Amino acid sequence: MSWQIALQLAFSGLSVGSIYALVALALVIPFKASGVLNFAQGEMATLGAYIGLALATNFGLPFLVMVPLTLLVAAGFGVLMERLVVRPIIAAPEFTVVIATFAVGVIIKSAVRVQWQDNLFTLDAPYVGAPIALGPVRLNPAYLVIIAATLSVVGLLTLFFANTKFGKAMRAVAIDQNAARLMGIGVGSVFMSAWALAAAIGALAGLLLAPIIGITPEIGHLILKGLVAAVIGGFTSLGGAVAGGLLLGLLETYAGAFFGATFKNIVPFCILIAILLYKPHGLFGTAAVKRV
Amino acid sequence: MLGRKPIILMALAALGLSLTAARAEQGVTNDTITIGAFGPITGPAAYIGLGGRDGMNLAVKQINAAGGINGRKLQIAFEDDTHSPTRALAAVKKLIDQDQVFALFCVAGSNATVGTIDFVKEKGRVMYVSFASAPPVTWPFSRNLFRGGTTEVPRYGEMYAEFVADYFKGKKVAIMNGREEYPKNEGNALEKYLQSWFSITPVKRAEFNIGDKDFTPQLLEIRSAAPDVIAFFGNPAEAAIALRQAKELDVKARIFVGTTMVDQNFLAAAKENAEGVAGFALTPLLPGSPHADMKAWEAKWKAEYPNLPVGRPNIFDILAYTDMYAFAEGLKRAGKDLTTDKLIGALETFAGYRSGPLATPLTFTKKHHIGNLRLQPMQVKGGQWEQLSWEGKRPSEILKRYE
Amino acid sequence: MASRVDIAAIHRRLAFPAIPKHLALSAALIAVLTLVPLAAGSYHIYLIELALLNVIVAIGLNLLTGNCGQISLCHASFMAIGAYTTALLMTRAGLSYLVALPVGAAAAALLGAGLGFPARRLSGLYLALVTLGFLEIVQIAIEESPDLTGGIRGLSVPRPHILGFHLKSDASVYYLVLAITVAAVTVGANLQRSRFGRAFDAIRQSSFAAQSLGIPPGQIKLLAFSVAAGFAGLAGGLFTIVVGFIDPTEFGISASLRHITFIVVGGLGSVVGSILGAVALTALPELLRGAKEYSDLVYGAILLGTLLFMPRGLKGLWDTLAKLDWRRVKIWP
Repeated sequence: MSWQIALQLAFSGLSVGSIYALVALALVIPFKASGVLNFAQGEMATLGAYIGLALATNFGLPFLVMVPLTLLVAAGFGVLMERLVVRPIIAAPEFTVVIATFAVGVIIKSAVRVQWQDNLFTLDAPYVGAPIALGPVRLNPAYLVIIAATLSVVGLLTLFFANTKFGKAMRAVAIDQNAARLMGIGVGSVFMSAWALAAAIGALAGLLLAPIIGITPEIGHLILKGLVAAVIGGFTSLGGAVAGGLLLGLLETYAGAFFGATFKNIVPFCILIAILLYKPHGLFGTAAVKRV
Repeated sequence: MLGRKPIILMALAALGLSLTAARAEQGVTNDTITIGAFGPITGPAAYIGLGGRDGMNLAVKQINAAGGINGRKLQIAFEDDTHSPTRALAAVKKLIDQDQVFALFCVAGSNATVGTIDFVKEKGRVMYVSFASAPPVTWPFSRNLFRGGTTEVPRYGEMYAEFVADYFKGKKVAIMNGREEYPKNEGNALEKYLQSWFSITPVKRAEFNIGDKDFTPQLLEIRSAAPDVIAFFGNPAEAAIALRQAKELDVKARIFVGTTMVDQNFLAAAKENAEGVAGFALTPLLPGSPHADMKAWEAKWKAEYPNLPVGRPNIFDILAYTDMYAFAEGLKRAGKDLTTDKLIGALETFAGYRSGPLATPLTFTKKHHIGNLRLQPMQVKGGQWEQLSWEGKRPSEILKRYE
Repeated sequence: MASRVDIAAIHRRLAFPAIPKHLALSAALIAVLTLVPLAAGSYHIYLIELALLNVIVAIGLNLLTGNCGQISLCHASFMAIGAYTTALLMTRAGLSYLVALPVGAAAAALLGAGLGFPARRLSGLYLALVTLGFLEIVQIAIEESPDLTGGIRGLSVPRPHILGFHLKSDASVYYLVLAITVAAVTVGANLQRSRFGRAFDAIRQSSFAAQSLGIPPGQIKLLAFSVAAGFAGLAGGLFTIVVGFIDPTEFGISASLRHITFIVVGGLGSVVGSILGAVALTALPELLRGAKEYSDLVYGAILLGTLLFMPRGLKGLWDTLAKLDWRRVKIWP
């Protein structure tokens, strides 16, 4: 493999990995806050893409207006989901809550399918255009936007968690719910915001993907990749989730190049299993210390 | 006084008579014929079954409005199979056992169809298969099973190979396909007949997975083999990405695509990258075609289903519509005294029968029930699929094994 | 002498057979199920067979997940291993179904134990990831060996002969499936109440506490995995003759998630829950046939509603009804 090809593959891997990273982020944020794995997170991307489609085609909104509006609607959906589905049964066994979110995913996907069926829709974005040649490597602008968007989301989140009062409150809740409550933090509103934030990030992933792969009800399939990425990252840290996503993208792309598509999905798993046997809490995770 | 034996014999004969009578008349009354139909209308393959169901129902409505079949109206009992063989078998058992249908009309995918075959044979019902291309539908031969508008996978291979070698003059062919059942079978069939008919061994065979969003590794591999033709089998969304990336990565070759991509979806997704791409259509005319026959048909379809989303009617609407007409023709030819045997006999009189301008010609004989051996070659010109006048010259070898 | 305690007798009584709580109910249920083929047609017999298979899968999975607290996203793969092993031993090696079926279940149990090895160190989502990887590997192994497994095109399995008797009729297959299910439920219920079952529960609640009580968590997890996998493999082996056609997509991630919904809707850690969940969720899609293309949507809504209003599953409802003092229930005000 020449270095030109290796570079081209690295670019592809990072682009795909950025999408995985966004989904992983959206899984980790509510998990950290309320300890629930949202199995409908893939469908949040589907929902984002279709809301965007409806806003762009039915109301003729320009891309730059449509995107923030879509994220807002998605965030509202996240709030609803937390209030109506997760909170009422948060005391039930973990599995019950996870399967409840899974049911929400089933509902979203089948509702979308009833409304739009399986037609492949396209969503035009102003940045879609001819590839940029950088030496021997061709960079598709749509992919550059994905990478840039992912990096900015992570940057903004880091600033938010480090510098704002509410961000700090969210971190406090993640560390110890009871202590946070005693400090006067509104745990309920933190949960709600975490779900809103995650839903918006999921929708963003759908919107970024739409101009590249088109819109179908099956976009939600992404959840499995996001899950793998989040687990590599340790499922507790935002940086870990992003690193996990990018790593998964690169691993898959190079595995595909070296071993073909059959093993493309397996090689990352084998590597991960090996990693996990050596480090059972993920690459960037830490073991929780338990007092017995 | 009668001995014991004659009484038993008579009883047996009566029982036999009542059984055969019951068998012959299941699903047929003085004024209705009930047909059971099944296909996926939920889940990722819903576009197949929804198209199949709606196209079929449109035909049934028109046939009934025109007086039905020898004085009887057609009734359809439709069941969802969710694209799963297990659920398909449940659907077929329900249709035959509970709804007591006379025959089955299948608008399901290949594996779901194959999963029901043993039961259908055991019950001696006729099943008319509209879409499934898997060989077990027609081979080994079974009197009860018929395949309509589509043809079987090895025939795809023959036509694809001849087209690639003859029309595209391909010498170095690369094959890229998804790992699901349909595209993989298309890829395998093309490879097989390129080798056996033209002694062309593909220079590269690259596969991808459902949900892949990036084809750079596969395309770089293909680029290094410098093919003159790339054959792509997958779905329109995947093809659109692959074509765009191929252009970005300077992969220069003529592109041949599988039947699933010869439709409007592909044009909408691939846009200018679709230009010059060729492939075969399952029907002589495609949805969205400016041809007058298609315009007229689409107007009728839209009058029946005014609220369905873009993308419909799709190719499956057309296949099921034309196949239901062909099947109804068989029922008509079977005569007023309708039995399964007579229906089979009637369908076997089809020799190049076409129910209308949208239909492919169907032939059934006492030796084979393949139906159609023809696909329509198409190429994208000026952003539209256009019929090519190219015709395959090599006689098909598919029918040999039925001799 | 009279005061001597017969320890052996107590052991016998405690260990085997554990008397089912609802003995009369079980007997009545089995009696009704035995009579089904006399009244029902092929369609309903088939649905009950599918429900029974799912009961077997759910009971195994519930031991692993509900009792032992281990996630498995690859239960469909264990079913696939049982199904393909059984089918191939019959069609290729010419073995009798009576041999092929237990060998298939054993093969699944063995691989389950193999998967249990990494599980000894992992838990929660990390374990989920490993099982997901295992699922992918099994899928690809089936798809990529078409000469053996039929690959993506699937494999048709003819109805077998057992001891010279051809299992041709619906009833014969049905009785076989019913008998094996009753046996599997009995074994599952006893296992859950045995010291192993209690060890499963101990590990779920606290691995450390269990360890301090002398329960080796590694070995017990390994056992839970292989038992659960063995149950799934057995169900897979039965699946081959009930459906008669197997293909890899029937054993993918969506099937695995469906298995988890069985036990969550039914009730975690409960045999009754496994039965209720598997039966209800096998029946539901068939009952929703009338909803046509909306059936997935309605299914999702019912699933969500059930979890919201019965977070402890159908078992919770069952217990409430069982505890109810019916004499005090006023049906008429």
